[in-house]
Amino acid sequence: MLNRRQMLQQAGAGFGMVGLAGALNYLQAGEALPSIPHFTPKAKRVIFLFMNGAPSHVDTFDPKPALAKHEGAQPSGELYRKNTGSGFMPSPFKFRAHGESGVVMSELLPNLAAHADDLCVLRSMHTNVPNHEPGLLVMNSGNQQPVRPSLGSWCSYGLGTENENLPGYVVLCPGLPVVGPQLWSSSFLPGEHQGMSVDTNDMHVDKLVANLKHPNLTRAQQQRQLEFLSKLNRLHRDKRQGEAELDAQIRAMELAFNMQREASEAFDVRREPAHIHDMYGQTPFGQSCLLARRLCENGVRFLQVYYVTKTGKQPWDTHSENNKKHRELCADSDRATAALLTDLKARGMLEDTLVIWGGEFGRTPYAQNNKNKDYSKAGRDHHHTGFSMFMAGGGTRGGLMYGNTDEFGMNAVENRVHVHDLHATILHLMGIDHKRLTYRYSGRDFRLTDVYGEVVRGIVS
Amino acid sequence: MLVRTRSRFVMLIRTKISGDASVILTTARSPDADCVPAIEIMQQQTIILTICLSSILFVSAAVFADENEFFEKKIRPVLVERCFKCHSEQADKVKGGLLLDSRDASRRGGDSGAAVVPGDLDASLLLSALRYESFEMPPDGKLPDAVIAAFETWIKQGAHDPRDAPTGEAAAAEINWEEARRFWAFQLPTLHALPIDVSVETIRRPLDAFVVSRLNDSKLTPNPEASRNVLIRRVTFDLIGLPPTPEEVKSFVEDKAPDAFERLVERLLASPQYGERWSRTWLDLARYAEDQAHIVGNNTALCYPNAYLYRDWVINAFNKDLPYDQFVRQQLAADLVNPDDKASHIALGFIGLGPKYYRRSDIEVMAEEWEDRVDTVARGLLGLTIACARCHDHKYDPIPTEDYYSLAGIFASTEMFNRPLDAQREREKDGRAKKAEDAVHIVRDTKLQDLNVFIRGDVKKKGQVAKRRFPRILCSTESLSLAFEKGSGRLELADSIATRDNSLTARVIVNRVWGQLFGEPIVGTPSNFGSLGERPTHPDLLDDLSVRFMNSGWSLKWLQREIVLSATYRQSSDIDSAKQDIDPANRLLWRMNRRRLSVEAWRDALLSVGDRLAFQLGGPSIDPQAPDERRRTAYSRISRLELDAMLALFDFPDPNVHSPKRNETTTPLQKLFVLNSPFMVRQAEAFARRVTEAEASDTDRISLAYKIALGRSPSADEREIGLTFLDGCDEAEEETRWVQYAQIVLASNEMFMLD
Repeated sequence: MLNRRQMLQQAGAGFGMVGLAGALNYLQAGEALPSIPHFTPKAKRVIFLFMNGAPSHVDTFDPKPALAKHEGAQPSGELYRKNTGSGFMPSPFKFRAHGESGVVMSELLPNLAAHADDLCVLRSMHTNVPNHEPGLLVMNSGNQQPVRPSLGSWCSYGLGTENENLPGYVVLCPGLPVVGPQLWSSSFLPGEHQGMSVDTNDMHVDKLVANLKHPNLTRAQQQRQLEFLSKLNRLHRDKRQGEAELDAQIRAMELAFNMQREASEAFDVRREPAHIHDMYGQTPFGQSCLLARRLCENGVRFLQVYYVTKTGKQPWDTHSENNKKHRELCADSDRATAALLTDLKARGMLEDTLVIWGGEFGRTPYAQNNKNKDYSKAGRDHHHTGFSMFMAGGGTRGGLMYGNTDEFGMNAVENRVHVHDLHATILHLMGIDHKRLTYRYSGRDFRLTDVYGEVVRGIVS
Repeated sequence: MLVRTRSRFVMLIRTKISGDASVILTTARSPDADCVPAIEIMQQQTIILTICLSSILFVSAAVFADENEFFEKKIRPVLVERCFKCHSEQADKVKGGLLLDSRDASRRGGDSGAAVVPGDLDASLLLSALRYESFEMPPDGKLPDAVIAAFETWIKQGAHDPRDAPTGEAAAAEINWEEARRFWAFQLPTLHALPIDVSVETIRRPLDAFVVSRLNDSKLTPNPEASRNVLIRRVTFDLIGLPPTPEEVKSFVEDKAPDAFERLVERLLASPQYGERWSRTWLDLARYAEDQAHIVGNNTALCYPNAYLYRDWVINAFNKDLPYDQFVRQQLAADLVNPDDKASHIALGFIGLGPKYYRRSDIEVMAEEWEDRVDTVARGLLGLTIACARCHDHKYDPIPTEDYYSLAGIFASTEMFNRPLDAQREREKDGRAKKAEDAVHIVRDTKLQDLNVFIRGDVKKKGQVAKRRFPRILCSTESLSLAFEKGSGRLELADSIATRDNSLTARVIVNRVWGQLFGEPIVGTPSNFGSLGERPTHPDLLDDLSVRFMNSGWSLKWLQREIVLSATYRQSSDIDSAKQDIDPANRLLWRMNRRRLSVEAWRDALLSVGDRLAFQLGGPSIDPQAPDERRRTAYSRISRLELDAMLALFDFPDPNVHSPKRNETTTPLQKLFVLNSPFMVRQAEAFARRVTEAEASDTDRISLAYKIALGRSPSADEREIGLTFLDGCDEAEEETRWVQYAQIVLASNEMFMLD
């Protein structure tokens, strides 16, 4: 059985054959799959703020007083990474309940504290491995082996685009994070669902999206040119039936042309007033969050903002000086994230925008590189059996702390949420049954959650 | 099969060992480093101490209750209290390389040998040390006789030790070498009888027989041969990285001689442009670059201003078909192979252009650099992820940590060396050039050292000494893994790699060349032939071709010739939906894969069609995006700090690490470059000028444009569409309409796709 999109592809409606107006029709192939949404969506779009390197849960959202009581004691049980320092390290940061709901977070997150009643904190996350590469792949594609379609690609594939003049899935990152383009790969899904990564080292719009304008030609001239090109490409493709890549190339070209119309505005954060810039903070991450909001507003379905710096591909990987670095990183992340929530709310967009904050895993409750109990130098190692993330908006229950780790923050023990469950829940909020969003490739049906994943009903409003 | 973590139930157990402090003991664990991209979950074992919290745990403990109890009561407390201070991972300094905090470590023992040999009191050094017969341990006083007697009983009864699984860090002791060597990649490749009758029409070369045989098994047949136009375009891009000229196409298409294709291939293999094209395949895996990822201020002392000399050496080596075994030997040890042939030492850039990190006086930093060298050699030349064994024994392949340090020691005994370009250059006392600009960037032997294993990769925790030598799994028997004794050991390393006795070297390069020519290699993970890598789709073919490659003097040109002359290579890339249903990914090669051009071939083709390509070989690097730059993309300046934006946009790999193969992305940003970049506009202008100067009418110009850019004549449709476009331009566009047309031909999908 052909679904509607395949029929559209095979019928070859659109661009080139019927001119540019047809191109727009053709791009409507980028609409939702005919069966989707499976039920009424609560979220229309996603902004995933990715703290590269993995933030420490016991210093942010998961207070563990027992770490102070048993300071220096060695953890036991199933451990992946033995402590080379001196055992449990208490968090120096004060935790307090905030808002009417009493969501607890540390003093590192003063701005997010003001949003306590909007946050749905998942304290019982766990994933497969405590290594960055596979951890990043699991969080982004549900599979620790490269390469499977990413979460964003699945969303784009299932839901199509809201704006045919911009890509449906955009990745904002200064340079590339560890692993790189595999994290936003469309893999065997059609190529137009690949994330478009934008290097945010330079926020000038002509650097973010280079070559947006032809140096000599007018738009009308270029439009004629593009019609001509599309005719040639279609003749070429029609002689090469079944070569999916050629369709992806054609659509990338159409999208590029269409982007010229809107991208220079959508990507230009300089159009924002000064107080908005200040609210987000004049940092690469802050400005990227602001850009993410603009792109969302312009109909980009799935946004991912990687917290990466020019000199560090995984700044949250605090193997040493955990406390100092978390203080600095949280200050930046807290301000920008809270500003994003404030901003979305002010625009009435938080209701149907799902904001996700977290990393590939968490950090050990015990210390690392801790000579002579000098906590100023000590770090925390990778930790995947219990960690925290939060979601906000998009149909999640605000003011909720969901799940628990044990008394030391070692392992998720109550209402455990695996990454597959998180993915199932994200799709659910988008109106998609994760078990029914499949793609047939190489003789079998694939899905984001493979054979796993349960929707975490308790966090859906 | 992935082991699900969902059901894992993990606990903390507080135990009392002695005294009144509540202590939480640690288990030995299986470490993970961040080096294996595809880690499966290791089955973990928990140890159970005196249990006071969770009743669930008794279930698994019950089986060994008695032996466990003896160990927990009589042995472990003594180890913890009296031995761990110097013999555990918590020790500030591990003494004698001996760890007693896991079963495997205590069985393996330290520098002096096995500490615990189950059932053998005499061989267990731990016991003689406790008895003060060999060592005197603990040093601050002999333990009570009753305690020593308990250890005797324990060892006599088999030294039951529940602490960890027989995998993990001491796998060295556990590797069954004989069995490990049975893995396909560690078996020497052999010639294979051709599986089908070679008189079959679809067989031109031995490799075809292997392909057709597998196709037949799946009820598939190979595609017919591609058209002459397609063939010449395909093979010209594949061998020299450029499009054929219209004259070359015409002469090949009209050449009726039976050996027309053979002669075409010979011409291409003899072309100087061949080396330029193939150099990049090597430079990707050699992580070639000209600077460093971290440059402090304006200090470029660690950069490589003359890196291009090595790049040119690689181009030249390809062009003269330097046998691959010598190619490898020179890059690892030219200074030791031919000390007096200074020019050949440029080959050492393979090691000598590796990343240098900030604070090189620090051993932690150097340990990172050694890892780069080991990784580049191991993945690049051997297809093994040996660097994964830096912090723990390799989880999936028979590579103990010690073998990693045996290789790292070679590079620890080798230093980066800026050799002055000539006698006129200023030099330091130690012979180095004062300025990097005056030097060629190679390596030389330095103070020779065997490294200690750094336990869990921690330079402060020294384990046993790892003699410099070759990884054991690649030696035909363990005893052949002799210590390297000549200088740093680089020459012996090179000899151990560049030899028929190595099961991987030939296979790895043959697989890479195959991947370049077919788009997909036979082993889908070209830099990982280990157990987590993919298995070959055509194992006998790979073996047979590898042996014949070695028999042909390790000649890469022989190998490429053998492949491109095959019927398999010459197939059309057409998709037959019935065949596609059976083998959608074309793993069995029922057709040629349709491929994308690399950024190098694509940019070079753009220059070529505008007749602007400079054919000068070698020399300093260029800015590939500069609109007026005419040299080939292989000459691009390659930066670890800031890779050229155009190269990065079109999937050029990150030169900070070895690249096994290139990603392929499709993004609108690439298309914006094609539509609007000054570089593209300049190429379109040149192309338009060439076509309009050569022909007068639009029709003739269109024909010529197709011949130049795409190696064929336009179809009637294509001509018509083109004329419509040109006619539709208004008078004001008289000057630019051909530039507009030319840009669209350059922007078309056909321009960067190979059928």
